[in-house]
Amino acid sequence: MPDPTIAQSSTHDIVVSGQGVGKTFADGSVIALQDAHFNIKRGSFVSLVGPSGCGKSTLLRLISGLIPPTSGEIAVHGTPVTGPRADISMMFQKATLLDWRTAIENVLLPTEINGTPTKADKNRAFDLLKLVGLEDFAFSFPAQLSGGMQQRVALARLLQTGADILLLDEPFGALDEFTREHLNLELMRIVQEVGATAFFVTHNIAEAIFLADQVVVMTSRPGRMAKIVDVDLERPRPLSIQTSVEFNKLVEDVRETLGEM
Amino acid sequence: MAVQDAIPAPQAVEDTAGTVRRKRILRHAGIFLTLILMWEFGSRIGWLDPLFYPRPSNIMRSFWLIYFQNGNVWYHLYATMSLVFLGWIGGSILGIGLGSLVGFNSVLRRFLKPYVIVLEATPRIAVAPLLIAALGFGASSKIAIIVLVCFFAPFINTLSGVMNVDEDRLELFRSMRASKMQVLRKLVLPDAVPIIMAGERLALTAALSGALVAEFIQRDEGIGSLILVYTRNLNMASAFACIFTLTILGFLIFKGMEKIDFYVAFWKYEGGRERVSAKRRAAMEGPDHA
Amino acid sequence: MHNKNSPATFWVFEFIFRVLPHLVLFAVLIWLWELAVGTGFITSIIIPRPSKIGGAIVELYITEGTIYRHFFITLTEAVVGFLIGATIAISLAVSSSLSETFKRYVIPYAIVLNVTPGIALTPVIIAWFGYGMGSKIALAAIISFFPIFVNTLTGLVQVDEDREELFQSLGATNYQVFRKFRVPAALPLMFAGLKIGLTTALIGAVVAEFAQATDGVGVLMSRFSFQLNMAASLATLMSMTTIGLILFYTMEFLDDRIVFWRRENRRAAASRARARAWKNQL
Repeated sequence: MPDPTIAQSSTHDIVVSGQGVGKTFADGSVIALQDAHFNIKRGSFVSLVGPSGCGKSTLLRLISGLIPPTSGEIAVHGTPVTGPRADISMMFQKATLLDWRTAIENVLLPTEINGTPTKADKNRAFDLLKLVGLEDFAFSFPAQLSGGMQQRVALARLLQTGADILLLDEPFGALDEFTREHLNLELMRIVQEVGATAFFVTHNIAEAIFLADQVVVMTSRPGRMAKIVDVDLERPRPLSIQTSVEFNKLVEDVRETLGEM
Repeated sequence: MAVQDAIPAPQAVEDTAGTVRRKRILRHAGIFLTLILMWEFGSRIGWLDPLFYPRPSNIMRSFWLIYFQNGNVWYHLYATMSLVFLGWIGGSILGIGLGSLVGFNSVLRRFLKPYVIVLEATPRIAVAPLLIAALGFGASSKIAIIVLVCFFAPFINTLSGVMNVDEDRLELFRSMRASKMQVLRKLVLPDAVPIIMAGERLALTAALSGALVAEFIQRDEGIGSLILVYTRNLNMASAFACIFTLTILGFLIFKGMEKIDFYVAFWKYEGGRERVSAKRRAAMEGPDHA
Repeated sequence: MHNKNSPATFWVFEFIFRVLPHLVLFAVLIWLWELAVGTGFITSIIIPRPSKIGGAIVELYITEGTIYRHFFITLTEAVVGFLIGATIAISLAVSSSLSETFKRYVIPYAIVLNVTPGIALTPVIIAWFGYGMGSKIALAAIISFFPIFVNTLTGLVQVDEDREELFQSLGATNYQVFRKFRVPAALPLMFAGLKIGLTTALIGAVVAEFAQATDGVGVLMSRFSFQLNMAASLATLMSMTTIGLILFYTMEFLDDRIVFWRRENRRAAASRARARAWKNQL
């Protein structure tokens, strides 16, 4: 078994790290995640891939501070995670927009939670809607937007917080293949543009590799980090890269790791 | 959107649709008139005892009488409706307040649950005589009855609205480190508005029924006492004129609540969304372009 | 966590942790009430002492037993009225769901009936049907009609294109679609309507008794109230709650059995029963 810790040259660059992180539910009878070690470099895009029940969503919630670990410790920017924090922002499979707010008001929500939005905040929200290509729909209500557009609003809201660590829990999982592919490209561009560190949960192997610098392969019963696969494909990546030999070698690698279990 | 306005509806299609509609309305009116006429003639040839089953023509005459010639219905309408609204507002405040309180406090919820079940099973209007005996005749006991019969629907609906908050959204708010108050104000209460409004609709109807029962017992003033007195005097035509007045009133209440819902829970309606969307755009862009 | 292995321990824990706190709270509230009235903090004409209510309960329900005749009269009025209202409502709803024309001509009248507070008809109904049980049954039937009608109709006409296409692709007749798809799909909503209808039927019976009657808990209630015998009045109110609870839980039981697929435990039970039935057939 290879040590599932990402080799690092400089510890200064590490923004998220976990030591022996574990989580059990229901009085210890369900082990959602066991003994996870990881060090994630600033600005990297990490995909978490695995079958359902492998603890990838649990790991994301542990990093976000929404749930506390049962064992081990997670640190972000060198300080241990004890609860939800300002330098982390999260996005869910459902858009979770508020129906009674227009798109731009939804984007402004995190700012409102932390105080009264200023003119600058409003401009930033508008710029973010522009970034996700929705400047014409800033004053539309969620019910007036398609599923893909709703997720773009959620993406803008994710960025509005200004957090440099983005947690995405199957954000486009409920969308059709074409929309998802398109939004994945946008996501890659945007994350690179803002220079954030991203964690992306998916159960689609090709998607995981296509987006990521590192793919964390997870297996279930109990949830474990089985292997971390480095993806050294050049950026920007065109969609056609998915038919290349290197890409398919990586797919095979991940598949084998998942199949071993 | 604008695209729809740009395409003119084909004239021919509109015409046929209009004709069909007109024909349909005519047929409805025809059936209605036939029924009324059957009633009228059934009464005239002695199939229906006009003493108990007033003729439509007599009901129409009574309408004229109580609204214009005597004009006595106005006073009673006012007496009933002013108490209905007062009681409804009181009951709503009580219901929504208690509903949010209980919805948020799991300990309170646990201990109140048996009492709520008991209260739910009791025909609440049955407490009317008791309240009248306790508070005496007059407006105060009437209002108490109305509050009691109408607070329950907003209470139960607020409770379920508050408790059925979407888990994912709650998690979103937690991840943004929202305070309890913010979760309440920005998520839970707005989310519960449509279901609270549904409760308010039921409450207003219940309030009217409560007022009528209180008036039946007190027999002093209000539409309820008027119906009772007319029926006692076997002036059934006037009693029916009062009942149909309540039909119209009930219809107005229904439409009024629909209108309020359209404004308060605007995001449920296409038209409401468009209206508010335009307003907010203007509010945010206005100062920049001025 | 308590030990769930032994049923006896389970019930002991169940009692201590779930029932006992309620009983304690109830006892404390009653005691405070008694104390408040005893010390004159509350005037006892308006609010009787719990001990006096207890006395009235004993008198009405045990030593004299006067309540039972009235109890069964009101219960009968509510149930018979409900059954009549429900029969008419369901037949009209089924007819409306089968014929678009019929529906179009029935709905305006149903709406008129709905926006009219049915309670307003009380004096007229009594003039028509007399002081006996007939008028109470009639009012109960009238005011329980609409919620049952509208819920059943909504359930029957709700559209589920996929399932409908499935039936069409199987070459099902209209009757088969109705029997095997529309009716089961409508049942949950119909039961919701029936539950509301049953509650309103009880209200109808009681209000009609207030207005004019010789028997029934409504009569008893207003008689005691106007004698300012609050304790007996509250003891009577208890019987109305009991009727309400009986009606509600009967309906809930039927709902649970008939629309079994909505609840996990009922699903499991139905699934076991059907598995047994299959085995016996083979």
